[in-house]
Amino acid sequence: MLKCKGLVALSSDLLDGELTWKQRIAVRAHLAMCVRCRRFIRQLRISQRVIRQLPDQQAPDLEALLKAMQAQQQRGAETDQGNAQK
Amino acid sequence: MPNEQDLIQRLLKGEQAAYRELVQQYQGAMRAVAIAIVGSASADEVVQDSWLAVVRNLQGFAGRASLKTWLLTITANTAKSRLRKQRRDVSLEDVSGPHGTIDDARFAADGHWGRAPTLWHTDSPEALLNEQALRECLEHTLATLSELQRSVLLLRERQALELPDICNLLDISHSNVRVLLHRARLSVFATLEHFEETGEC
Ligand SMILES: [Zn+2]
Repeated sequence: MLKCKGLVALSSDLLDGELTWKQRIAVRAHLAMCVRCRRFIRQLRISQRVIRQLPDQQAPDLEALLKAMQAQQQRGAETDQGNAQK
Repeated sequence: MPNEQDLIQRLLKGEQAAYRELVQQYQGAMRAVAIAIVGSASADEVVQDSWLAVVRNLQGFAGRASLKTWLLTITANTAKSRLRKQRRDVSLEDVSGPHGTIDDARFAADGHWGRAPTLWHTDSPEALLNEQALRECLEHTLATLSELQRSVLLLRERQALELPDICNLLDISHSNVRVLLHRARLSVFATLEHFEETGEC
């Protein structure tokens, strides 16, 4: 029989759909009768969504990066022209 | 994806707004990959070099892979070529966050919960994130995870990458990715639980 501790050990695999069918049956059976583990899984899913929605830290210096990319792109365009004239 | 094709056409024409869009959309994922491989000290440099490589190679991007996969592969390659020394061993050392994790101490000898999870006051991530103190607390927890652990978590949860993609980009085994992800999630869970119980970090 799967115990709560074992269920917690499988919880991440449950979220990622990585359980074998045997494990899946055991997890389902356990969750059907264990309110504490149901709460744990529900709140684990909430914390997953919290991380998804946690605001991103901004890129260090977007403007400088874009400038460098533009310069790179123009160098590329000049090389292409140079090649075309050969 | 039609939007992706459209974006690539605009990039090829050299449209600056398109570059801005591209960077804003993918910078976070690229950073997570770079941090996982070279560590945060040189990650920004790797990301910058990767973007320049993207610009150089855009003509040759044939759309065989998704744009995101292509960008992250360039980032991973740039990061790996920067590693002068042998690749650091994948550390599976258990670094749990400041609020611990869900470990053996939470269970009774018979394997049932000893101290069961407490009920949170809301099911809504938005409501939870409304609190600035909690957002800062989560940032703090993420910062204390190992760089690899944090990157795997962000690539999976925020960037929605599949596990095999994470394995390929970071050169770590499927089972190691699962271990890293599991521990990171439990640290985040423990942080939220602690905050719900005490109202502070
Ligand atoms: Zn249980």
